[in-house]
Amino acid sequence: MYQSFIGLEIHIHLAAETKAFCGCKANFGDEENTNVCPVCMGFPGVLPTLNEKAIQMSYVVARALNCKLSPNTKFERKNYFYPDMPKNYQISQFAEPVGRDGYIDIEIGDSIKRVRIHDVHFEEDAGKMIHAGDMSLLDYNRAGYPLLEIVTEPDLVIGEDAEAFLKSFQRLVRYLGVCDGNMEEGSMRCDANVSINPVGVGLGEKVEIKNLNSSRFVRKALNYEIERQSGLMDNGTKIIQETRLWNENRDQTEGMRKKEDANDYRYFPEPDLPPFRPSDEFMKEVEEGICELPLVRKQRLMTSYGLGSDQAEYIHDEKFMADFFEKAVFLGADAVQVYSWLSSDVKKLLNRNSQSLEDSNLSAERLARLISMIEDGQISGKIAKRVLDHIFDEDKDPDVICDEQGLVQISDPAAIAKFVDEVMAANEAVVEAVRGGDQRQMGFLVGQIMKVSGGKAAPAVVQSVLKEKVLG
Amino acid sequence: MEKSDLTVTATLASLVLDEAETQKLGDEVSRMLSYFEKMSEIDVDGLEPTTHALQKENRLRPDRGLSNEAQPDELLECAPDLEDRFILIPNVL
Amino acid sequence: MSDFEKKWSGVLTQSQTLKAYKNYVDGWEEKIGSFLEFDPNRSLSDEVPEGPLSGIPFGVKDNIAVKNYKLTCGSKMLEHLVSPYTATAVKNLQKAGALVVGKTNLDEFGMGSSTDNSALQKTNNPWDTERVAGGSSGGSAAAVAAGLVPFALGSDTGGSVRQPASFCGVYGLKPTYGVVSRYGLTAYASSLEVIGVLARTTEMCKVVFENMKGKDPMDHTSLDHTPSGKEVKTVGVLKLEEGALSPEVKNSFDTSVERLKKAGYEVIEIELPTLEYVVPAYYTIATAEASANLARYNGIRYGHAPVFAENPTELMRKSRHEGFGDEVKLRVLLGTYVLRSGFQDQYYVKAQKIRTAIRQDVERWYDKCDVLMMPVFPTPAFHHGSSDLDTFQQKQADLYTCTANLVGHPALSVPSTLENGLPVGVQFMAPPFEEDRLFQVSSALEKEFQAPEAPGYHTDWS
Ligand SMILES: [Mg+2]
Ligand SMILES: [Zn+2]
Repeated sequence: MYQSFIGLEIHIHLAAETKAFCGCKANFGDEENTNVCPVCMGFPGVLPTLNEKAIQMSYVVARALNCKLSPNTKFERKNYFYPDMPKNYQISQFAEPVGRDGYIDIEIGDSIKRVRIHDVHFEEDAGKMIHAGDMSLLDYNRAGYPLLEIVTEPDLVIGEDAEAFLKSFQRLVRYLGVCDGNMEEGSMRCDANVSINPVGVGLGEKVEIKNLNSSRFVRKALNYEIERQSGLMDNGTKIIQETRLWNENRDQTEGMRKKEDANDYRYFPEPDLPPFRPSDEFMKEVEEGICELPLVRKQRLMTSYGLGSDQAEYIHDEKFMADFFEKAVFLGADAVQVYSWLSSDVKKLLNRNSQSLEDSNLSAERLARLISMIEDGQISGKIAKRVLDHIFDEDKDPDVICDEQGLVQISDPAAIAKFVDEVMAANEAVVEAVRGGDQRQMGFLVGQIMKVSGGKAAPAVVQSVLKEKVLG
Repeated sequence: MEKSDLTVTATLASLVLDEAETQKLGDEVSRMLSYFEKMSEIDVDGLEPTTHALQKENRLRPDRGLSNEAQPDELLECAPDLEDRFILIPNVL
Repeated sequence: MSDFEKKWSGVLTQSQTLKAYKNYVDGWEEKIGSFLEFDPNRSLSDEVPEGPLSGIPFGVKDNIAVKNYKLTCGSKMLEHLVSPYTATAVKNLQKAGALVVGKTNLDEFGMGSSTDNSALQKTNNPWDTERVAGGSSGGSAAAVAAGLVPFALGSDTGGSVRQPASFCGVYGLKPTYGVVSRYGLTAYASSLEVIGVLARTTEMCKVVFENMKGKDPMDHTSLDHTPSGKEVKTVGVLKLEEGALSPEVKNSFDTSVERLKKAGYEVIEIELPTLEYVVPAYYTIATAEASANLARYNGIRYGHAPVFAENPTELMRKSRHEGFGDEVKLRVLLGTYVLRSGFQDQYYVKAQKIRTAIRQDVERWYDKCDVLMMPVFPTPAFHHGSSDLDTFQQKQADLYTCTANLVGHPALSVPSTLENGLPVGVQFMAPPFEEDRLFQVSSALEKEFQAPEAPGYHTDWS
C-alpha cells in the first residue's frame, strides 16, 4: 500500500485597477499591447512602484488563511530568462513573504480537513506568448499584473481533495473580493505536486504537474499521476523528480520533451523597492477587508436557519447569494421558502437569462414580498411564478406587477360563486356524477373553475363554494 | 574557476561564449574571484547586510491609472520585429 | 545669476552666437569626441520656462533617458534605441529652464573608468588627447572641461562622476543616494548609483543639484532632502600609506590640505581600516545587481537583434553575444556567479555585510569632523590602452570613490591643482543630505584655485 502527498501552488490575479508595479490598467482581454508603459515593458531606466491596493489584498488573503503576517515584508528578484518576461527577472518574494505558516479548513465530503499553508507571496505576472507556426507573438498586456501565490504543504491525499480544495479556495477569494477565481480565463491558476511512498515512509520524490486549467483537470491529473507512480513503484522503477504536463486530450500526464535547464533563480533583494512595514492603520483596513469566511457561514446558515447541509451548501456558494438569503429572511420570509425559490425558479430564470443574481432585477426585498403575498393569500404560488418572470423582465416590484396585470387573487365567495355556476351549468353530467357519489370528478370541476377565473380564484375558496353548491 | 562552472554561469546569464572568450573572460572572472577572496579576512558576523542604504519609510502607489508620456505605439516601434500590435519572435517547430 | 551663468543663458537663442557656439563645439569634438549626439536645435522648439537655469544648455550622459534623443548607453545593444520617455532629473532641470543639447559618451552601461569601453566612440581628455577623460561619465567631463556646456549630467555608481571630473579639471558631485530620482537612469548597480553633476563652478554644481533633486513618485527609493544647515569647521583627512598615490596626486592632495588650513579649517587625521575591503565588496554587489539589471537586453522588445535565430533562446543569446562588449560580459558573468546558490553567502551576502561595516567605519568620524577628505584616484588621467593601468588595476583604483557609493553618502570632486599640465582633483565626503557642507569647502578652495582652462577653452561667443 502506498501513501500519496499532494501540495498545490495557486496563483491568483489580484483584482486591482492597475498593475503591480506601474500605473497601467490591469484589464483582461483588451487589444494586445495597449496596457503597456516603459515600466512593464522593461525599458532601460525604469523603476517599479508598489501598488497599495494589491499589497493590501495580499495581506487580506494571508490573514484569511490564518498566516503569520510579515511586519516587514521584502521583495526579491527571481532571475531566469523567458521571452515573455520583460526584465528577465520577476519581482517576487522569498525571504520575507506577506504571510507564512497558515492553514485553511476545507470540507471534503462530510469531514473537515485542515490544510497547512506554507506561504503567501506577492509577485508580478509575465506577458503572454501565442505560438503561431514558426513564429511566436508576444502581448505584454498581462506583464506586471499583480499576482499572489499561495503554496500549500503536501497535506492533500487524492485528486478529489485537491479539487475540493480549489473549489473552497476559489469561493474564499470571491468572498474576499480579491479575485474572480476564473480558472478558464487564467485569473486563477494551479500547479500541483505529488509524491508517493509506502505507508509510513513519508514524502517521496516530488513530481510537479503543470498546465491544469480547471479543477477537474487537477483531480484527473493527480489521480492519473498517483496511479502511474504506484505502477512504477510496483515494478521497482525509481521515480524521478520532474515536471510533467497534463494533456487534456489524452487524459494523461506527459514528461516535458526538453528537460528544463537546471534552474538557479539567484534570488536577491530587490534594490528598487524598500521593504514594506504595514502600519496600524493599514492593518486595520486589512481586518476590515476580512468577511465571514465561507465554511463558517455555511455552518451558521445550518444552525441559524435550520437549512440542511445541501441547502446551506447551495446558499453559501456565493457571498452575494448568502447575503441575499439572509436579507430576505430578515425581512420576514420563511428561510426554507427563500431557499426553494432561489434554488429552483430563480435559478432557472438566471440560467435562461445567463445572469448572476447580483445582475438580475430580483432583490431580497422583492423576493421577500413575493413570498409574503403568497402567504397572505394575495396570489397563488402559480401566479407568483408569473410575477417573478415579470420582475426579471420589467424590473418592477411585485405589487406593481400584480396591479398592472390584474393578478391579485380573487377570494370573494360571491365573485367565485359566479365562476362555479358557470362551470356547473356547462358540466351538468359531471355535477350529477359527483352528486351520485363520484368524488373523483370534483378535481375536474375545480380545474375548470380555475381556468375560467384566469387562475386568479383562490383555490381554498373555490373548494368550499363548489362543495356547498354541489353537495349542499 | 572550472571551465564547466563558467559554462553553467554563462548559460544562466544567457550568454554564449566562443573559444577565445571562454579563455579570456574565464581568466578575468577567475582573477576577480580570487581578488574577492580578500573578503574572507574580515569578520562581519552579527552585522545585518545593507540592502537599502537609507530607506526608512514605506512607499506605496495609489491604485489609480497613470497616464504615461510614452504611448504604447511608441514603445512598439522600438521592437525589431512587429506584426500588427504583436511583437514577433522566431520559434522553429 | 552669476556672470558665468549669464554668459551661457543666451547662447542658443541668438542666431549669431549659436553659430559661433556650434563652430566652437565642432572644433573641439574633432579632438575629444565627447558627444554621441549633439543637436542644440532640438530643445529650442519647446517653450523655454523662466527659471534659475533659463536658457542654459547642458549635456546628458547617454545612459539617462531624454525623450526623442537616443539612449545608447554606449552599447551596440542600444545603438539605435530612441528613448520614449524622459528621466525625472532631466525633466526637473527642463522645468528650471535648462536645455538639453546632446548626449555624452560613456563606458558601456557605465562600466569602466576611461570611457574607452564605449562601443560607439572614442573620447579623449581635452588636456591631452592621448589620455582618457576618465569614466564612466567621460563624455560629460570632457564636454564641460572643453567649455562645450557649462554643466552636464553623469551617473555615479562607484566614482563615475568624480573620477572623470578629477581627470578633466571640473567639479563632480555624487549626491546622497536617493535624493535625485533614478527614474530614467539606465540601471547598472541600483543600490549604489545616483545621477550626478559635472560643472565648471561650485555654484553651478549647487544650482543644478538644487533644481534636479526631489522625491519622485516614479522612484520608490527616492528621498526628501533634509539638510542640517551645519557650518563646516573640521575636515577629517584620510591618512594615506606611503606609495598609495602617484607623486603628482600626492602633491596635489597636500596642497589642498594646506589651503584648507590657511582658510581656517581645523584639519584632523582619520583612518578607515575597512578601506581595503571596499573594492571587492563594491564589485561583488555592483556586478550582482548588474547581472539582473542587464538581463532585460535580449533583442525582443528593443535593442540589437541578430540577423537570424531559430528560437527565442537563440535570439536572446545571439542578441547578447553580439550586443555586449567584453567588459559588460565580464561583469555580467561575475555577477551571475556571485549570486549562484552555493556561492551567494560567500560573496554577495558577505559583501552586503561588509557594506554595513564600512558604513559604521565611516560614520564614527562624523562625531569628530564635518566632512571627510580623501583622494579621488591614485593617478592623474592615464593613457588610452593598458600601458599605464590595466583594467584590473583600474578597478582597484576605485577604492577612494566607491566608499561613498557603498554607504550612500554624498561626495564631491574638487579641482585641486595642475600637475605637469594635467588637472588633479580632491574628494570630500559628508553625511547623508549634507551636500551643502561639500559646497562650503569647495567654495573655500575655489577662491584659491578655479577649474583650470584647457588650452583652447573660451566662452566668448559674441
Ligand atoms: Mg511564482
Ligand atoms: Zn505599465
